[in-house]
Amino acid sequence: MARTLIRRIAFGVIAILGVAVLAFLLEFVVPGDPARAIAPRAQSAAVLENIRIQLHLNRPLIVQFADYFGELFRGNLGTSYVQRQSVTSLIMPRLATTGWLALAGVVAEVIIGGALGILSTLYARVRAVVAAVNLTLLSLPQFVVGLVLLLIFGFRLHMAPVTGGAGPAEIVLPALTLGLVGAPWYAQIVADQMADSLASPYVRTAVAKGLPDRYILWRHVLRNVLSPAITMIGMDLGAYLSGVVTVEVVFGWPGIGLLAVDSLQNLDRPVVMGTVIVGAVAVVAFNLIADVLRMYVDPRTREEPA
Amino acid sequence: MTTTTASGVPVPGQPATGRAKARDQSLRKARWPPALIAGTGLLVVFTAIAIAAPVFGNPLHQNLLSGLTPSGLPLGLSWAHPLGTDALGRSELARLAYGIRTSMIVAVVSNVTSIAVGAAVGLAAGFFRGPVEAVLMRITDVGLALPYTLAALVIAGLMTAGLTRVIVIITALFWAYPARLVYGEVLRLRHRGFVESAEAMGASGTSIATRHLAPHMFPLLVTYSPLNAASAVVFEATLSYLGAGINPPTASLGNMISDGQSALSYAPHLLLVPAVAILLITMSFLLLGEGLKARNPDLKRVSWLGR
Repeated sequence: MARTLIRRIAFGVIAILGVAVLAFLLEFVVPGDPARAIAPRAQSAAVLENIRIQLHLNRPLIVQFADYFGELFRGNLGTSYVQRQSVTSLIMPRLATTGWLALAGVVAEVIIGGALGILSTLYARVRAVVAAVNLTLLSLPQFVVGLVLLLIFGFRLHMAPVTGGAGPAEIVLPALTLGLVGAPWYAQIVADQMADSLASPYVRTAVAKGLPDRYILWRHVLRNVLSPAITMIGMDLGAYLSGVVTVEVVFGWPGIGLLAVDSLQNLDRPVVMGTVIVGAVAVVAFNLIADVLRMYVDPRTREEPA
Repeated sequence: MTTTTASGVPVPGQPATGRAKARDQSLRKARWPPALIAGTGLLVVFTAIAIAAPVFGNPLHQNLLSGLTPSGLPLGLSWAHPLGTDALGRSELARLAYGIRTSMIVAVVSNVTSIAVGAAVGLAAGFFRGPVEAVLMRITDVGLALPYTLAALVIAGLMTAGLTRVIVIITALFWAYPARLVYGEVLRLRHRGFVESAEAMGASGTSIATRHLAPHMFPLLVTYSPLNAASAVVFEATLSYLGAGINPPTASLGNMISDGQSALSYAPHLLLVPAVAILLITMSFLLLGEGLKARNPDLKRVSWLGR
């Protein structure tokens, strides 16, 4: 188990570094001059040149690369070109804001998806309805679901705020958007796992022993759903923490995704790099946490075939 | 086949022979599963709309005299303008037809490119073991760990707006998953008899990969491609919505929705019309995928419509 973990951590670190290097190189190819973005009305070339010298943009790419990654290994993400403060101090509050949304979104997914999956397994009559709901939700992009919810609950029913911001009232619609879009995947896992364990010898034995249905359902059937659901939750938390860009844009939720979009437009390279790296770390870390948790609840997954 | 207890918990019933027989029957019945018919039918309709887009009118013509209300707001649904007009007085029907054309082109082209790249990488990694395998699969891991939307926005900054940009972005982000799929399949097959006998006969690595292994990838990739196409349609819309795909005045379902968002309070049809189009296009690809899976018992497990 320890070997599996070390292997996974090593691969994770390689993947994060790969993403960081790729993002760094890509950003240098993006046309546009950060100095010009900082001082859009600067008239003289000397002013622009000064800015470039200040930001070390005049040095060769390889030196900038070494500088950046040297600092990165010391845990320093640099200073924002535009906001004149450390990237870490910019990202951390945004990460927390996105974290709340990610958490609320995953809770919504689990509730909606779990309900759909359990319903379609236990009640044959609603199976076709659940399949249709799943297919519809799968076919819609996140931002379309978000906008339709905004139209219905915000503009028509006046039940939700339409102005954006991060508060308890503002979180409902974005979280519901994430929940609805993610639900079919959970419904699928739940239905699959339940069908598998319902067809298994141990459930047959339990029925033969005369255990009550409710007991069988909770102790034997739903317990099996836990392990793949944990993997899924880990993947989703990681992916959402790396910025639910479209949902944040639709609802004006001031999270890390919105920060990344703004910084891209401002050519604020250190902040873009920071958000990309933090995002990749979130993806890798949560996948890993999910795997460890899974090994804990499901002994069968402890030995991974290399 | 399965009996049910009082509360509705199904209980496993028949032994294997009965099950195999039932599968046989369901296969015969499933030759043209309803999902396949529905998906194919819808796709034929959308392809026809995409080809015949000019019939629905000029998507760029701003009808400033009769295309807007006297106070300058977009028109609702009427006989003269079946789907109303947008905020600039352009026919929403014409824009919809061209938006569908954009989506269909993106779906087909980026589907082919991303799967081709992914299959090549997966095949190479699975077949040439050692350093090639390690390097290719680590690159694939990076591809899978990329924050999609952000990466897309960065790449978008490198190129000018348009179809090519969308297709390049989708290919750059969508190849990793099919690469993983193909890699897994090659791992499963590379110790099978037919590969080993080809090796024993002295076939070269490339020949084994292309002539013996590649044909086995077809069922997998054919079944995967409708799902890939559906994701591509969704992603194109997302990119264009964020201004990183196809920019106005060229119509795309995504940038039409972006336009519709600013008119959400007074002209909801500008959101709903393109939204329904995206829903139906994506759904038809998913139905096609479901139908193909229903015909292939190995893949039926991963079906969205139940087993």
